[in-house]
Amino acid sequence: MSSTWGMIAGLILAIAAFVYTFWPENSFASQRQKTRLDYLLERKEQLYENLRDLNFEYRAGKYPEEDYAAQRAVLESEAAQLLSEIDYLQQA
Amino acid sequence: MKKVSRLNFWLKSAQAGALAIAVCFTLGATEPASRFNTLSHKLMCTCSCAQMLGECNHVGCPNSTEELALLRTGVDSNQSDKQIFDSFVAQYGATVLAAPTKEGFDLVAWIAPFAVFAAALLGTVLLIRHWVSTRPRLEPAAASPEMDALRERIRRETEADGGYPV
Amino acid sequence: MATFGSFALLIALALAAYNLLAGGVALRLLATGQPAPITPERLADTARRAGIACFFAVTAAAFALIYSVFTNDFSITYILEHSNRALPGAYKFSAMWSGQEGSLLLWAWLLATYGFVLRLTHKMDVKLYAYAGTILAAVQVFFLAILNFAAPPFALFRGEIPPDGNGLNPLLQYPEMVIHPPMLYLGYVGFCVPFCFALGALMMRYPGEKWIKITRGWTMVTWLFLTCGIFLGMHWAYAVLGWGGYWGWDPVENASFMPWLTGTAFLHSVMMQEKKGMMKSWNVWLIFATFLLTMLGTLLTRAGLVSSVHAFAQSSIGTWFYVFMLIVLGTCIFTYVLQRSHLKSDAHVESLVSRESSFLFNNLVLLVACFVILWGTLFPILSEYVQGSKVTVSAPFYNAVAIPIGLFLLFLTGVGPLLPWRAASLRAIKRNFIVPVIAFWATAIVVLVAGDRPWHDGAFDSGQFYALVAWSVSAAVFAAILSEFLRGGAVIRKQTGSNLFASMVLLTRRNTRRYGGYLIHIGVVIIVIGLAGAAFNRSQEQELGLHDRLAIGPYTLDCVGFSDDSNSNYDSQFALLDVYKGGKKQFQMSPEKRTYLASQQPQTMVAIHSTLEWDLYVVYEGVNPSNGHPIIKAFLNPLVSWIWAGVLLIIFGTFIALAPPITPTTAALRVPVARTVPAEPAMHGGQP
Repeated sequence: MSSTWGMIAGLILAIAAFVYTFWPENSFASQRQKTRLDYLLERKEQLYENLRDLNFEYRAGKYPEEDYAAQRAVLESEAAQLLSEIDYLQQA
Repeated sequence: MKKVSRLNFWLKSAQAGALAIAVCFTLGATEPASRFNTLSHKLMCTCSCAQMLGECNHVGCPNSTEELALLRTGVDSNQSDKQIFDSFVAQYGATVLAAPTKEGFDLVAWIAPFAVFAAALLGTVLLIRHWVSTRPRLEPAAASPEMDALRERIRRETEADGGYPV
Repeated sequence: MATFGSFALLIALALAAYNLLAGGVALRLLATGQPAPITPERLADTARRAGIACFFAVTAAAFALIYSVFTNDFSITYILEHSNRALPGAYKFSAMWSGQEGSLLLWAWLLATYGFVLRLTHKMDVKLYAYAGTILAAVQVFFLAILNFAAPPFALFRGEIPPDGNGLNPLLQYPEMVIHPPMLYLGYVGFCVPFCFALGALMMRYPGEKWIKITRGWTMVTWLFLTCGIFLGMHWAYAVLGWGGYWGWDPVENASFMPWLTGTAFLHSVMMQEKKGMMKSWNVWLIFATFLLTMLGTLLTRAGLVSSVHAFAQSSIGTWFYVFMLIVLGTCIFTYVLQRSHLKSDAHVESLVSRESSFLFNNLVLLVACFVILWGTLFPILSEYVQGSKVTVSAPFYNAVAIPIGLFLLFLTGVGPLLPWRAASLRAIKRNFIVPVIAFWATAIVVLVAGDRPWHDGAFDSGQFYALVAWSVSAAVFAAILSEFLRGGAVIRKQTGSNLFASMVLLTRRNTRRYGGYLIHIGVVIIVIGLAGAAFNRSQEQELGLHDRLAIGPYTLDCVGFSDDSNSNYDSQFALLDVYKGGKKQFQMSPEKRTYLASQQPQTMVAIHSTLEWDLYVVYEGVNPSNGHPIIKAFLNPLVSWIWAGVLLIIFGTFIALAPPITPTTAALRVPVARTVPAEPAMHGGQP
């Protein structure tokens, strides 16, 4: 390929890139702000995961009864607080 | 009673294990030690191939043959490791040694990793202990009908089969 | 083609710069809410599109280079220096990364490819991706600027163009060398993406921990590439360099190992953040450090800072890297200081003996290992600075320092999964540790009885001692992981009534990450078992005339012929060896030595016969000039094939860990009826 042809190919590439970049289109994705509710729902899913994990490991025999009960109580009260706030926000 | 006998069992097994290991450690080995080989892995080939002297294998290496000969002489004339290393350093410079010596500033090379390890280990243990001692006590929420209902719901969604349909 | 390639690189630089500028302005406008003549979101979208277009521009440049290699366009200096007409097709691709400029182009192209994927999948979280894409563009600007101004791959040769090129470095003329460098680069470059996400999330004060889930996925993919790259390199060194080993603690090997260590640390500590909202600052800094270490690795190879077989010719681009690293570090520190209040932990470790603290220790050990390697790599420079003379820091140093640390890490691999989250009571510990402890002692005794002698001839043999410890700890870790699978499987079996194996498969599918991770750990255990075999390597060197015999271990090598050969690419000398075992002929081996014509450099072609027990590894060392007889060196290397098998398991495990798990929600979608039936009354949770 001679350098003239290289130049022409390069120009075509430049024009194509320019057209693609500035193509007038208005269907771009908007940057939605995350709400408190989104955040709480994420947290809830995580706490549920932890609880499921705890239950499973307990049944697999990795926790003695009293360790299990104590840890479950802590996680559950944390989840309960979340749930009540979620319920409140969803009703509002 | 049961506890004592179980403890006894573990003690006995530990003893047996230790004994077996002790026996194995003291059994004489059969292979003759190859001092030449060991030393050739503590020296570098200086032809810039960046390999251990004992491992340099490229054809017509300008240095390794001569170095190996020097090492052979040293080993055959029963010089100490230090004497051999000194003669290498005198001839090829300090970079011929595959690892820093344990004297002077070179000693820092050896101390630093273990010092950092120890410091980091200690730091982590202290940090965890600090966390453990200062953690807020999470009290289970007070019992109320709403709380009970919520707890019921949480358990329904996470327990039994772990929330998975079977 | 040279004109087109240069042009494409210039366009790529312009696009990346636009992406950075427009993206930055748009994000600033969005964050401050200032009025602007253009919708910031529209501006951000043009920036994103510029990033996508940039990928095509860099691809065009990479294509131009490959095209020039294949058409033997020696008017381009780079092609002249790294290829020749007789070079086989597959190795013409290798020419792309055998030199400074080409490998930088490969780097830029891979970065653009990652950027392309990132910008296409932006709907996952538009704002976060906009931040990450803009930061990525900044890194792209750096590499494209180097390619345009400091190390142009399409520079033309001045003077009369020679009829043929200088040829490719013969060390690279090996099948694995077609995959190893791109794989390693994929791993290296890939760590840029988690870096962009982390920095972006920190800049925008990302609420919650979802960003870390996205980042974790990218990190895992990158980590897999880096792992494969490192092990391909090891296998290549083993099969080509011909010294019977696979890891030489060369500065460049170390440079690839350091980000692997911090990346591994991140993949572990990230779980703490996802699960408990802990260690947020730590994780952010782990990613920053990993990215900086990949940059340092590049710097080490390219700036002539340390001597290494891998190093490229010294060049001026070292300064570019110093400046860039300083800017990156400055940005990281600035952003961190500004936003550190956002990284407050939600929780803290509650007990010294818990899963949480085992993660902390795991991170600690990985980082100390990283420090040790960095220390060893840079000590020669430090020594020269302090006492005026260089020293060598090579295998004996690392073996003495890194092996104990590695064994401690292996030990933690076994302990971690056995400890429950939050806090472990003594009873729980006892219950979980019995089996692994038995496995440890049983293996130790078996190994000692089988002939491991850590103490012999009145001297301590550290190699055999480490092998003993490594194998025993490996057995314990294996037992620990196996018991995890069995216990979990048993619970599922109780629920579903299917057999234990099916239950374990279901278990893995429900928590792909954890059990995929365990599979990776088993892979690591298998690798360690293989590595420890090196303590029992044997070798034997001998000159072999016709029908002379060399005995090593159970094998006897009978020389049945030796000869020379020649083709357009290289001359070769080889020996034909019949291998006998127990008096019967088993197979034939043919070690070879090549001399490449274009570069006049020699190259060993090792003959390897691999079994589960050991590798018979035969090298053609050279010729006795007085009688023309070949000198053959044979090695018997125990358990080497375990290393490669372990890597395969790691790859498999990573794929499992990357697969989306069946969650209660997805499972419910599949079995809609089951969901409507409330689960059984759940007061007592099931049977202990």
